[in-house]
Amino acid sequence: MKILAFDTSNKPLSVAVVVDGKVLAHLESTEKRTHSVTILPDIKKALEQSDLDINDIDLIAVAKGPGSYTGVRIAVTVAKVLADTLSKKLVGVSSLELLAANGDKAHILVPLMDARNDNAFAGVYQNSRDKFVSIIGDHHTSMEKLFESLKEYNEDQLEFINATPRLQELIQNQFPNSKIITSENSLPDAAKLAQLAETNKPVSDIDDFIPTYLRLTQAEHDWYAKGHKDDGNVSYVEEV
Amino acid sequence: MKKDTLILSFESSCDETSVAVIKNGKEILSNIIATQIKSHQRFGGVVPEVASRHHVEEITKCINLALDEAKVSYNDLNAVAVTYGPGLVGSLLIGIMAAKTVAFAHNLPLIKVNHLAGHIYSANFVTELQYPFMALLVSGGHTELVLVTAPGVFHTLGDTRDDAVGEAYDKIGRVLGINYPAGKKVDQMAAVGKDTFNFPRAMVQEDNLDFSFSGLKSAFINTVHHADQVHEELNKDDLAASFQGAVLDILSNKTFRALKQHPVKQLIVGGGVSANQGLRTRLAAEIKQRNLDMELVFPPLRLCGDNAAMIGAMAQIQYDKGDFAELDLNADPSLDFDME
Ligand SMILES: [Zn+2]
Repeated sequence: MKILAFDTSNKPLSVAVVVDGKVLAHLESTEKRTHSVTILPDIKKALEQSDLDINDIDLIAVAKGPGSYTGVRIAVTVAKVLADTLSKKLVGVSSLELLAANGDKAHILVPLMDARNDNAFAGVYQNSRDKFVSIIGDHHTSMEKLFESLKEYNEDQLEFINATPRLQELIQNQFPNSKIITSENSLPDAAKLAQLAETNKPVSDIDDFIPTYLRLTQAEHDWYAKGHKDDGNVSYVEEV
Repeated sequence: MKKDTLILSFESSCDETSVAVIKNGKEILSNIIATQIKSHQRFGGVVPEVASRHHVEEITKCINLALDEAKVSYNDLNAVAVTYGPGLVGSLLIGIMAAKTVAFAHNLPLIKVNHLAGHIYSANFVTELQYPFMALLVSGGHTELVLVTAPGVFHTLGDTRDDAVGEAYDKIGRVLGINYPAGKKVDQMAAVGKDTFNFPRAMVQEDNLDFSFSGLKSAFINTVHHADQVHEELNKDDLAASFQGAVLDILSNKTFRALKQHPVKQLIVGGGVSANQGLRTRLAAEIKQRNLDMELVFPPLRLCGDNAAMIGAMAQIQYDKGDFAELDLNADPSLDFDME
C-alpha cells in the first residue's frame, strides 16, 4: 500500500510517503511558514524523493483536526480534492490521535492543544494491540474539567503530550507524578499518520468529509445562545 | 483553425462557492454556484469563519457538478484558474488550495485571477469587447472606474474613499429593517418611492473620479433616527428612492466625467450592484441624453454576482499570454489593479 500523508493542523507541517510500511520520504518543518504556500510544493517534493508519481498513490491520509481552523482546512481541502479528483481512498485521522502516537504505549495518553485561557483541545487514548483506542473523545475543555475527568486514573500512568509551558505548569500542579511531553518534543509525524490511517476505514463519501473543529464559530455560538434552532429542512447553502 | 481551450475555474472570495468550465473565454459550458446567503442571513452579514467552513463543505460537489454539466473530463482541460484576491482570506484559500490540487494532480497550468478583473470580463459573455473600454465596478466590496486599454491591461481612474456602494446599501437596508443583502429590495422600493429627502451627493463637484458614500449613509441614518425620536413616521419607499437617487447621481456623475476624459466605444458595468434596475435605466438614459455613440453592457443577472465563469473569461487572456502561477500561490486579500 502506497500512502501519502500530511498534517498542517498547527504550526508544524509534516508530509510523508510510506510504502508497505517503509518511509520513503519525510518532510518536516517547525518554522513559521505559510502552510497554504508550502503544502503542495512539499507534497511534490516528497513524491519526487520517493520516485513516485501522484497517480501511484493508493491512499491519502490527513490529520483532520482539531487544530488551527485555517490549518486544518488547508490540509483537509487538499486531501479531499486530491482523493476526489484522482479517485483515491481517503482516511482522516484525529490530529490529537496523531499526537498520542508520540507517547509511550504503556501509558494513558492525553494529547493536548493549547486553546488559550487555560483551555485545550484534548482526548484520552489507550494503546491496545497497536491501535489507539479513544477512552474519552476529543473535545474542547477547560484544563480544570479535564483534570477532574482524569482523577480515576493512576497518576503515574498518565502521559500528557504536546504541553505548552502554561499547560505544563497546570499539569505539574495537579499531577506532579505524571509524565509530560512538551510541545517541542511532540511534533506531529506524518509517517505515523500513514501508519494510523492503514488501520482506519476510508471515508465513504468524500464530498461530506470536513474538518473536525470541535467548536462552533463565535457567530453560531451566539446565534444558538439567543435560542435560535436549526430548522431541519433548511439547507444553509444552495446551488443557484 | 485554432484549437479550443477549456479552463476549469474556481471562485470562492466571499460567500459563493463557484466552479465553471469555460470554452475559449467566451462560452459557458457550466457555471455551478453554491450560495451561502441563507447561512449568513442568520447573522445579518457575512461571517468569514462560517463562509470558509461552507466552502470546504461544497468544493468537491461543485467541481464534479461543473465537469458533469459541461460533459468534460479532466483530460479535456487545458488549464485551471482561480481567484486569488481581493476577498476574505479564509474563503479565498479554499478555492486556491482546490485549484492548486487539481492543477498538480492532472499536471495542468495554473492561472491566478484578480477577482475585479473577473467582474469586468463577465461582459465577454455578452459582447465583443473593443479596446479601450471603460468599466464601472460596483459591488459590496468595490466601487471603481477602470479604463481597460488592452486585453488584461487595467488602469484604475477612481476608487471609493470609504464605503463600497453595495456596503452602503446593506447598511441603510439594516436601518429599514431589510436583511442582508439589501440591494434588491431597496431597488424595488426606490422604484415605487420619490426622492424627497435630498440627501447629500458627496464629491460630485470635485474634479476627481473618486467616490464617497459614508456621508450619504450617515445622513440617511440620522434622518431615520431623528424621526424615530420625535415619533414621526417616514415613508420607507421615499427613503429608499432618496438614497438610491443620491447613489445614482454620484455613480453617473463620476462615470460620465471619466468618459469625457477618456472617450470610448463601450461602457461595461460589473459587480453585484450592476443588477440594480435603477442603475441600468439611469445609465442608459444618460447615454441617450448625451447623444453618446457608446455601447452600454451589463452582464446577465446570473453573472452580476460572484461566479467562476467570469474568472474563466479573464483566465483565457492570461492563458494566451502564458501568464501562469506556481504551486506556491497564496491568497492576496487586498489585491488591487495597481498592486500587480
Ligand atoms: Zn465580487
